[in-house]
Amino acid sequence: MNKILSHTLRFVLFLFIQVIVLNKVELGAGTLMMIYPLYIMLLPVEINVFLLLFLAFALGISIDSMSNTYGMHASALVLMAYFRPIIFKAFAPRDGYEIDLEVNVHNMGYRWFLRTFGILLLIHHFWFFLIELSRFDQILYVLQKTVLSLPLSFGLCLLLQFLIIRRPARGGGV
Amino acid sequence: MRNFLAFIRRFRVLLFFALLQGIALTILFTFSTFPRSQYLTTASTISGTVMDWRNDFTKHFALSGSNKKLQRENKWLREELTINKLALLSPMGVDSVVLTKDDFIQRFQYIPGEIISSTFSRRNNYFTLNIGKKHGVERGMGVISDEGVVGVIHNVSEHFSVMKSCLAKDINVDVMISSSREPGLLKWDGRDPRRGSMIGVSNDRSIKKWSKIVTGGKSGIFPRGIPVGKVEKTAPVEGQPIWDVTVLFEENFRTVQYIYVVKNILKSEQELLEETIPDDPIEDE
Repeated sequence: MNKILSHTLRFVLFLFIQVIVLNKVELGAGTLMMIYPLYIMLLPVEINVFLLLFLAFALGISIDSMSNTYGMHASALVLMAYFRPIIFKAFAPRDGYEIDLEVNVHNMGYRWFLRTFGILLLIHHFWFFLIELSRFDQILYVLQKTVLSLPLSFGLCLLLQFLIIRRPARGGGV
Repeated sequence: MRNFLAFIRRFRVLLFFALLQGIALTILFTFSTFPRSQYLTTASTISGTVMDWRNDFTKHFALSGSNKKLQRENKWLREELTINKLALLSPMGVDSVVLTKDDFIQRFQYIPGEIISSTFSRRNNYFTLNIGKKHGVERGMGVISDEGVVGVIHNVSEHFSVMKSCLAKDINVDVMISSSREPGLLKWDGRDPRRGSMIGVSNDRSIKKWSKIVTGGKSGIFPRGIPVGKVEKTAPVEGQPIWDVTVLFEENFRTVQYIYVVKNILKSEQELLEETIPDDPIEDE
């Protein structure tokens, strides 16, 4: 119960950070910092795939409706959510994932987080900017936007985890 | 049948993914050209209210700048008032032709409003306005500020509206070069929020650098002569007898806040008349 409540609060938190703050921080060159993919990342590993996809769609469409992007965030986030179990399986630790352990950077370590979340965020950003321009002859501009936005988003997601998630008592990552 | 069920069971995750993805992409490709409802945009009450709160908080940072702009505009309007002008005698010997207020009828009305949410670095940049149907805003009306053209209303709800700014695909405002009256269409390629382009100017005309580009007024969305920008450079388009004109926008879309929605009172009359034009004159013979 506690878990459901905390994830619901996070849903609202990520939605409002994205809509009220980050959508307005425009650094030019078509970049956009996106922090909400972290919400999908931090959901429990053993979550039902249908629920995962549905939550991705719900969060995406909520952001869309508040930033006039007409389904772009929803589409990118659903795609990322679809790849999440696949990527998690590919990068699973030797003994599998611990039950009830959140896959944040403290618990899983920098290397694991960089690989998995990096790939998922890349999929998300590339798809987002591709359908935003929706033209294949501007693929270089899509890549430019992706490459410039990706480190910003990733850095912000990392920073946010230090702010909102308490470090586990055993100290240090795994 | 059993095979079919087995197929569904096997690919149920993929199918559910495809369904959600399909919904998202359908919304993207249908709503962005013609919105069927105000939901899923900031014109809806919830999103509009959130944007309104945010704007209430942030607009104070720009207050002194906004005041200066309004004051400058007021000064200009004040100088345009007839009481501040001296009537010139016409050289033909006729003393003057007195035009009173009754000799004109109102064609354009302006509904003042405020931009409560905007972006400028997306491919299509929509601005949210704090005025809606209740204030007389309708889809397709033009939006201007004291500097120049801002965009066209895209979607309206009771208290809010969403406008497509000049920084969007297919904005297609009809514009002309002020001095030569050469017509064209305004476009934006999605890169630089300071620059757009004007297409349709045939390359047998020379275009002076920094000549002014204003609205053409043919479509009846904007009055004629509202500033849009200046010609920054012209380049030939390969294989076509037209110039690619780079326009430096007059409007700074990053800071624009106070706007007017242009209501053309006689628009329906113009449209009704234009409907009587036969589509293809050749078939008519």
